[in-house]
Amino acid sequence: MFILTKIADLVQIAPEDFGKQSHAAIEDNLNAKYANKVVQKIGLFICLWDIVWTSEGLIGQGDGYANVNGKLTVALVECRMVVFRPFKGEVIVARIASQTRDGINLATDFFHDIFIPWTELPEGSEFDSQEGLWVWKVDEQEMFYDNNEMVRFQVLSEEWHDQTPSGPLDMADQPASELLPPYKITGSMKAPGLGCALWWEE
Amino acid sequence: MKILESQNGLLSNYEVYQHLVDQQKRNKSQKRRVPGNLATLRTEVLTYLREKPSPLAQQEKTGAYTPAAIIQLLEKIQQENFQSDLAKGELLSILNIRPDSTALLSTVVEDMEERFTEDEQNKLVEIIVETLGRDDFPAEAEDEDAMQSIENGH
Repeated sequence: MFILTKIADLVQIAPEDFGKQSHAAIEDNLNAKYANKVVQKIGLFICLWDIVWTSEGLIGQGDGYANVNGKLTVALVECRMVVFRPFKGEVIVARIASQTRDGINLATDFFHDIFIPWTELPEGSEFDSQEGLWVWKVDEQEMFYDNNEMVRFQVLSEEWHDQTPSGPLDMADQPASELLPPYKITGSMKAPGLGCALWWEE
Repeated sequence: MKILESQNGLLSNYEVYQHLVDQQKRNKSQKRRVPGNLATLRTEVLTYLREKPSPLAQQEKTGAYTPAAIIQLLEKIQQENFQSDLAKGELLSILNIRPDSTALLSTVVEDMEERFTEDEQNKLVEIIVETLGRDDFPAEAEDEDAMQSIENGH
């Protein structure tokens, strides 16, 4: 569910942060920049794991900023970040957020773009339009996918949508509400053992 | 930013949990304020990891997950010499989900029925429960301890 991603980045430490230990200043800087951000094709960045290498700091002319400078022409800190990126086929737990005829939307506390299409619900599942819930009918028993219930699902595929703004003129045709999520997971709850966690407790 | 290695390694939920808890404690003892986005996300991830049916829900009380327990789990699985080896991803999922029944185990082990005999499946569940614990057990044990102390002491 979580992976480590190694990145290199330029870190600028502002003069007001000179009071911090340099390790702490770099950590805060990287976390402020990346925590809770989706990077395309990598995943949702959680936080810094460790710092692998840093160069000496150089004080820039004019602004007093200390660039922690690298040996390349770009200034570098090499570090590893904790990233949320479940692998294909992985089984993870999430909460039912909302349901429609098309399927079930799931969310974890920190990630909200998970969708289970109705085709990936177990056989015998029907949408109860009065309750607005999906029901799994098995052996004359009705099992409801209640909202806020914890479920297990298997990751099927992922979608990435770059949200880099394209300029005011192009953006005008596209209402903000139609922006696609930067990272979306599609899953399945078909296999035995998946679906509401309560159903499988012994 | 430059990505040097998009996947340098896999982390189990326990490692992430421990990392965040340690970080939180460290910041508290140093009275250091972390960036707001991190503070929010950290709370959210920890809430998620502490929510049932996550095996880390009772971690603070039971301390069931330790580096030693994980090594023990891997060693025991190896000793059993099952007819098929578990893939790295499957072992990671076992750690993250902690299946306590064969139904649950089948979700994390691909083609389980073909690769493992019924005895082996049960043995695997047994090893998991033995090394990583099970949340309903320690609670009972505590009750028993309490009962005993009442019987003995008062």
